[in-house]
Amino acid sequence: MLFVGLGLWWSEIGILPRVVNSQDETLDKRPDYFAMEWEEGTLLTKKQTPFFIEVETMGNQSISLLTDENNRPRLYTADIVTPVCADGECRLMYLTLYWNLLGGYVGFDKVEGQELTKHDHEEFTDPDYEKLHQLLLDDNSILKRKKIDELVERPATSEADGVDATSGATIAEVKESVVDGALYSCFVAWNIAHGEVKRELLDNTAGLFNLEMKHYMLNSNDVDYQMYALKSFEEGDFIAFKERIVEMFRESIPLIRTYIVQNLPELFWRSDSLQIPFWESFDAIDINNRSLLLNHLETAPKEVLLSLSANMGLMTKNQLKTYLMGVEDLVKENSLLAKELDSFAHSKSNTYAYIVEEFLEDLE
Amino acid sequence: MKLIVLTFSLLCINLAVSQDMLIEAEGFEDKGGWVVDPQFVEQMGSPYLLAHGMGVPVENAKTRVIFNKDGEYKVWVRTKNWVPGNWEPPGKFQLKINNKVLQSILGQRSGWGWELAGTVSIRKKKNSVELVDLTGFNGRIDAIYFTTSDAEPPSSMKKLATWRKTVTQEPLAPNITKKFDLVVVGGGIAGCAASIAAAEQGLNVALIHDRPVLGGNASSEIRVHTLGIYGHFERILKKLDTEHYPNGSPEAYKDQEKRDNNVKSYKNISLFLNWRAYDAKAIENRINYVDARQTASGERIRFEAPLFIDSTGDGWIGYWAGAEFTYGRESVDKYGEHWEEHGELWSPKQPDNAVMGSSVLWRSYEAEGNENFPEVPWAMPVARDYAKVKGEWQWEFSRNDLNQIDDAEEIRDHMLRAIYGSFANAKKQAENANRKLEWVSYLVGKRESRRLVGDYIFTLNDAKSGEKFHDAVVMETREVDVHYQTVLEDEKNPDFISEALFYKTPKYYIPYRSLYSKNISNLFMAGRNFSTSHVGLGGPRVMRTTGQMGAAVGFAASLCKKYEVDPRDIYTGYLDEYLTLIENQKYTPIPDSKQ
Ligand SMILES: Cc1cc2nc3c(=O)[nH]c(=O)nc-3n(C[C@H](O)[C@H](O)[C@H](O)COP(=O)(O)OP(=O)(O)OC[C@H]3O[C@@H](n4cnc5c(N)ncnc54)[C@H](O)[C@@H]3O)c2cc1C
Repeated sequence: MLFVGLGLWWSEIGILPRVVNSQDETLDKRPDYFAMEWEEGTLLTKKQTPFFIEVETMGNQSISLLTDENNRPRLYTADIVTPVCADGECRLMYLTLYWNLLGGYVGFDKVEGQELTKHDHEEFTDPDYEKLHQLLLDDNSILKRKKIDELVERPATSEADGVDATSGATIAEVKESVVDGALYSCFVAWNIAHGEVKRELLDNTAGLFNLEMKHYMLNSNDVDYQMYALKSFEEGDFIAFKERIVEMFRESIPLIRTYIVQNLPELFWRSDSLQIPFWESFDAIDINNRSLLLNHLETAPKEVLLSLSANMGLMTKNQLKTYLMGVEDLVKENSLLAKELDSFAHSKSNTYAYIVEEFLEDLE
Repeated sequence: MKLIVLTFSLLCINLAVSQDMLIEAEGFEDKGGWVVDPQFVEQMGSPYLLAHGMGVPVENAKTRVIFNKDGEYKVWVRTKNWVPGNWEPPGKFQLKINNKVLQSILGQRSGWGWELAGTVSIRKKKNSVELVDLTGFNGRIDAIYFTTSDAEPPSSMKKLATWRKTVTQEPLAPNITKKFDLVVVGGGIAGCAASIAAAEQGLNVALIHDRPVLGGNASSEIRVHTLGIYGHFERILKKLDTEHYPNGSPEAYKDQEKRDNNVKSYKNISLFLNWRAYDAKAIENRINYVDARQTASGERIRFEAPLFIDSTGDGWIGYWAGAEFTYGRESVDKYGEHWEEHGELWSPKQPDNAVMGSSVLWRSYEAEGNENFPEVPWAMPVARDYAKVKGEWQWEFSRNDLNQIDDAEEIRDHMLRAIYGSFANAKKQAENANRKLEWVSYLVGKRESRRLVGDYIFTLNDAKSGEKFHDAVVMETREVDVHYQTVLEDEKNPDFISEALFYKTPKYYIPYRSLYSKNISNLFMAGRNFSTSHVGLGGPRVMRTTGQMGAAVGFAASLCKKYEVDPRDIYTGYLDEYLTLIENQKYTPIPDSKQ
């Protein structure tokens, strides 16, 4: 249940909301503000779901599932009309919201003829809408932890500019993320987009989850989809999808890479051909994931130990130490490697040349 | 003026008798604008002097040195270039001996080790040595070594410690031993509260703290404000906590004075400020003593007591004594700390060594006129295009190849690069023409490192359920918040900025069993190194809560003394009396003099 305002009941102020006719039973264009990819020619069709958002005085606003031509679930959507009340004055806010299959907010459409307005009755500009969109995309927004009155009242501190916790969260911090002069609208919209509905939609998707959806999510650029698909993996899936996994390991965000390298079945570290593609990504990935990869140095094939020497310049101090420990025996028998270490140690441009130098000294 | 006490020894090197003299930089009589940095002793071997001038060269440090023998001395300096790379080293300095500058520019080598400053001809007994800072950007010097031999002193940490002892002819154990009822190590809010609670109950307490001022992260040197509730200990904690000013605010000085005065007002607290514990010896799982060293003079004392409290934040005492400890994140299944909404960021499927990071707070101000700030190319690989004029708690750094203890110097230095680089970027914007750095801490403020294991490990589930343990001694209403580095979600983000995830909980409690070591029988712990999981620490790491822990163990210690028992025995045999003692704290009025 969501109601924000100063105790004014909608019916009491005598404005009747415009009826939003869910005239559009299909969606064939990219929503005005949208965080996902949209392929030209996509045609999504609305299907009823049992879910709705309850808005006080406005009744239930139902949520639909949008499916593609092959009847595959792709998005959820709802036409929202909700009162926004501030300083004794209420207005209606119209928005068509979109959620992805995990219940995460992904975008909105403006409702024709119903521009959002600010406290001074000015209409939202394009940058305002964009800011609203960015705010709604932030599922960890400061709005999440605050009641509306906490957001408008100045905290007692003199120059509060951010703290390491909730109490005394600052106007400054809020200001940065909300549309100027439209705190209430932003607050209401955020709470609708991130309300109970999130959980319900996610549960609904879980019930629909199948192999097709696993493929779809795994191949998506959306990192939440990627993670969801990965988390559904059985051991065999890592093999079945191994090309895509390597690709994600190279190209996705650090968090996804970490999940992959940390959860690859033992089998991968026992097989040269299965693990080599991951090592080959060493130069393309972030520092944290390089460390996690280096944890597997002990089971890495010799050719990997050798080829990694080309990447010593990318390693942090501790990573380099780990690597050197890993090749301690190899370097004694492999003169090529020894030579490479030696030239690294004597190059002026390597920050950690001295680490290799000390290592070589200790070897002697 | 007292002359620096120097050890002078004869060493046989290459069969020739040589004259050697080691001067610890932190022992300089007049430190000028250089500051003593004792934060990384365990990693690099000694406190050192740091030229923390925020880009403006600091005043020379000076000392006098007595030589027993004339001669030609090679002068070695133990230092390091703290940002090696394709640029001029940021922290350069020179040595001046008897008013003559030695030509070598120091602070150029990678990794701690010796640089040759030059050769001097010593012709008199009393000589002067000065450190001349050239950059104001954190040049550092650990020691100066005068020798008539040709051998370079050892750089490797393994050999260095032995070498140092030989050169200084330091005996194995401290010469002085002091005995107390209770030894508290670490004077953060937790350690201070513990000392006061125990002292009020009549114990003779030693509080060993490696800084000149008390309060740890809440001190005027780090400037984090205290959060959390007072629980049973409002009276004690109000003597120590802070107002709710922004982190980094100079308002911290006022609370600093209050805190220091309050602790000093207890006659039976022997305060050892600028003393850093460096060892704890346990025999059969009982700590016999803690050894500590004065951070500037190097003087040493052995502290004996039947009871010890580890409130170092880093669990040092427990670590040295062999107490069980944990570091990093447990797997989500270990304690069932799952939170759907933030999944792997909150608690990972596989355990790892990620922890919340450390911060360096800083601020700048509007000066009257135009202010220049130098180019800092060595900072740019970290700062990239980030431009800011101040830093709050989000300026935080943690990376899985760096241990928050072992690599603390690198972490601090990374933050300094982030700060100087971001400020240099901001200075390029017209609106910041008058901006000047006001304060950059050189102390790294930590959030999480070792967590000592107690009879009970506090977890998120205890916070979620709000279970009122039968031995509950600490309570809190603050949400559990766990930080992560934003670069994990987007590599375009700077790697030194974090975000907090807040989990709303009901009022929750911490049991006494989380405040003493599982395997070291006379060791309490209070502060962020108490017995908790990674996520569990997310709530009670704040400083009124850690203060409550301190007070709680301080009172427990008084009962240990009364019955001559160990911490665990209070739980098994004297819990009622203990809880009553704590409960009664609520009703003890605050004397006017202490308000
Ligand atoms: C930037 C930042 C923002 C934060 N925000 C908040 C906030 O808003 N409010 C809040 O309450 N908390 C906050 N925290 C968390 C809180 O400051 C820490 O959890 C704090 O460390 C808890 O206090 P403590 O007494 O356990 O440890 P500390 O405050 O770290 O105190 C331990 C002290 O022991 C000393 N010590 C260590 N080893 C030795 C030794 N061997 N010998 C002698 N002395 C030693 C150290 O110098 C240190 O001062 C923040 C932390 C950071 C870094």
